[in-house]
Amino acid sequence: MLKIFSSFWNKFKEYIVLVILILVSLFTLSNNNNSAVKNVRIIAFSSFAFFSNIISDITSSTLIKNKNKKLRKLNAELMLQVNLLRKYGIENQELKSLLSLKDTASYPLISASVVSKSLNTASNTFTLNSGKTDGVKPGMPVINDLGLIGIVYTVSDNYSIIKTLRNVELRITVKDERSRVNAILKWDGDDLILTNIPKTSDIKIGDRIVSSDISTIVPLPIPIGYIISINNKSTDIFNRVKIKSFADLTSVENVFIIKMIKSFQVNKMELNFFKKRNSAN
Amino acid sequence: MRTKFILSILFFIPVLFVQITLVQFITWGAITPNFILILLVFYSIFHGQLYGTVLGFVYGLLFDLITGGLLGSAMLSYTLAGFIAGYFSNENKRHIYLKPFSYGFIVLLCSITASIIYSIFSTIDFSTNIITSLFEEGLLPGLYTSVVAIIIIYFYPRRKLLES
Repeated sequence: MLKIFSSFWNKFKEYIVLVILILVSLFTLSNNNNSAVKNVRIIAFSSFAFFSNIISDITSSTLIKNKNKKLRKLNAELMLQVNLLRKYGIENQELKSLLSLKDTASYPLISASVVSKSLNTASNTFTLNSGKTDGVKPGMPVINDLGLIGIVYTVSDNYSIIKTLRNVELRITVKDERSRVNAILKWDGDDLILTNIPKTSDIKIGDRIVSSDISTIVPLPIPIGYIISINNKSTDIFNRVKIKSFADLTSVENVFIIKMIKSFQVNKMELNFFKKRNSAN
Repeated sequence: MRTKFILSILFFIPVLFVQITLVQFITWGAITPNFILILLVFYSIFHGQLYGTVLGFVYGLLFDLITGGLLGSAMLSYTLAGFIAGYFSNENKRHIYLKPFSYGFIVLLCSITASIIYSIFSTIDFSTNIITSLFEEGLLPGLYTSVVAIIIIYFYPRRKLLES
């Protein structure tokens, strides 16, 4: 028996090992949301991120000189815009107080640098050098000066992994800034597309797309991109709308994490409801 | 055998650093060369199919854990890539397979397979054209990786290759 098994193993060991490893991989694929798997992942990426942070610092310092020049020019342009916005801000506050509207809260930003990037066509992820100790939590939106970059996915003490806009698992509720049409933004592996937009909706090429107020992930209007094409197939009831993101995900290095997870008010309402239910019991 | 395996894991670490920190400077659109695959094919040709399959699995596991991707997708694709590359590990023909263009072709074959499998598990979206997806997610990264592999193997010392 042992002989038969031994000869079988010698003949087909490559195939046996391949089948076993494929089965293990498939089993792992189906257990991605297991808490034990998540913990192992946090330990692995945070220990590795420490070293990639050092390499990233070295490489980025060479690019800083060129960027400085560009930033100085941008700074001057922004200063002019800030003056204009300050004037609008004062006017806005006065008008709001006249209408007795409550002001929207401002959110604190956590600055972070991209330590490493996993660039592929389907599931882009970035590792940032800010973590739990800086107040980062899963679900927080990540932005740069141009717009939305992604959402925090996993957090360790000093590092965090974000799913970028070029990740098929990320879906965000967005709206057309001009016409206020809501849609779901997703990455299909090739392009950023808007889904669930009926053909009768008022959308045009060049329209700016921002995150929607009804989004539970990013409930404040952060610029995301603009419409570059509208595919109007006669057989579909929905349009296939392609978006170009404002932020260039391949070259992004410094980002900001918005210190918020969900709408504060929604959370508070849910919390009150939960408390009431508990007290009733 | 154990030393060989540990060495190939040790070599993997700097290559992974390059893949996740420096490769962004040579991307072409969303297409990036896969340095890990180039290393995996090299070891598979050198040490055989069984070795390549197991090594592919380990590389994939580490890659998935460190990059925060879908755990299991790189494991599966690299395991298959290592297995395919292992078919070219004939001792008598190894010197032929490690010539730049032959090596580039093997990398292309493995890379296309790995990219397609990886993209199947990470982008299950039937709304896109399958031919376009295979072209953009399989062939283009594969071609880019094989061009980089040809350049690397061309500058790798031939004597060192033949001696080993």
